[in-house]
Amino acid sequence: MATKTRILLAPRKLKLPSSLRTYHSHNHPAPPGPFTPVESTILSASAPHIPTHGFTLTTLSLGAKDAGYIDASTNLFPRGAFALVQWHLYTQRMALQHHTGIISPEVRDGGRAPGVGSKVKMLTWERLMGNREVVHRWQEALALMALPSNIPPSVGELGALSDEIWYLSGDTSVDSSWYTKRASLSSIYAASELFMTTDKSDGYKETRAFMDRRFGDVQAVGSAVGSLGQWVGFNARSGLNVLRSKGARI
Amino acid sequence: MALFSAFRPVFSSHSLPVYDFLAPSLFQIHRAPRSIRHLSTTPQRHTLSNFQNDSPSTAPRTPKTGTEATSNPASTSKPLTQAQRDFLSRALRVNQTGELAAVLIYAAQTPVIVASHPHLRPLMKHMYDQEAGHFVTWNALLSRHRVRPTALYPVWTMAATVLGWGTAVMGREAAMACTEAVETVIGGHYNEQVGGLLEIFKEMEAEGVEVGEDLRVLVESVRRIRDEELEHLDHALENDAQKAVPHELLTGVIRAGCRGAIWVSERV
Repeated sequence: MATKTRILLAPRKLKLPSSLRTYHSHNHPAPPGPFTPVESTILSASAPHIPTHGFTLTTLSLGAKDAGYIDASTNLFPRGAFALVQWHLYTQRMALQHHTGIISPEVRDGGRAPGVGSKVKMLTWERLMGNREVVHRWQEALALMALPSNIPPSVGELGALSDEIWYLSGDTSVDSSWYTKRASLSSIYAASELFMTTDKSDGYKETRAFMDRRFGDVQAVGSAVGSLGQWVGFNARSGLNVLRSKGARI
Repeated sequence: MALFSAFRPVFSSHSLPVYDFLAPSLFQIHRAPRSIRHLSTTPQRHTLSNFQNDSPSTAPRTPKTGTEATSNPASTSKPLTQAQRDFLSRALRVNQTGELAAVLIYAAQTPVIVASHPHLRPLMKHMYDQEAGHFVTWNALLSRHRVRPTALYPVWTMAATVLGWGTAVMGREAAMACTEAVETVIGGHYNEQVGGLLEIFKEMEAEGVEVGEDLRVLVESVRRIRDEELEHLDHALENDAQKAVPHELLTGVIRAGCRGAIWVSERV
């Protein structure tokens, strides 16, 4: 107990997920996650209490008690209940890579493998379903995330989520669309998540329809912008070639 | 291609570290004779297809415990440090940006140059093809390692096109001077990168960590691409780059611009 308390008394600042999007090695193991082993133990013990006690310090101290630590060990989390939110976001994001049925589906003879777009949709839906257990408490989490000091890690986590979804779906674009894709998926996800907190329909049918409409909107805007760009590019090139054929040295 | 690869055993992963970055273009042992210099040495998917097939490296392996070896037999024991990952992602990002710019510069120069100097068509096509191959290589590595591309992608697109077109309109000598200036900076930059990568290898070996296959492939790619860029520099000099008027001013401005672009795209 004495050593345990000593470990607990040294406050560790929770690392932000900002460092997640650097070089990802396939030969070397991934760097450790943002939580220390003690924090992980307490937080994973707290998670089952969230549906009843919400994203609160009560949940955190109940979890600490369950894991065999003293109540005061909630001091370990300088951001308090926000650590629970971060834990939830982090574990749900990491859980996405286990949906192997979506990421690398078996293709039967003559069937077509689902494209990147439909994989993104399915993974986004799976992530929304990851909130199912806590959705009646999710507005507490949203309130915590909206505190000014918590906004940067929350936005970082949202970005990391859409990066994860695009990566798992097999997207390999590395031009400007890298940014637009992540930005649009983040906005779709955030809107659908907010919609889900008020959705009382069976099996979250309304949320599903809402999410599908948002994806449709983004695709419509994207293809309009793409067509416009193609048209402008074609005309500019034709004009240039007309001038060249007239003998202009350009 | 088989013929050409016979000249390249010097760069197999078994001979690391070779400090050839100290003298890039003085020793030309790795270069093929002039007759086949116009072969592109950048196969489209070379780096990716070889990740799995490469023979296991002969570097000294660190002993592993039984559980470690069974759970993750082919991999190395330690994660890369934050500093190493930052270096690698910066390096990949700036390389992709550089090759994007190179592709666009040659694409913009080619029609203008070829219209007045048709004999340069094979050379321009050769250099363009090589740059396109490099661009594909870096694109593949960026998406494989989840490195974000530069945020100023549209800016570099525009700048490179304007630079290529502008120098081509100024004439053959100016276009070649542009190539000379760009490739000088890029060659030096790739050189520094090889140095940095070998530094990382040394750090890892000092800690007893085995260097992963990915990193060995990366350092080979950087070396190969650097040599091809320096070959473009030779081509530019052979084609009267030094006769551009005003040569010093033009190359000076372009070199400064390239260094600034490298500095910015490492960060943004």
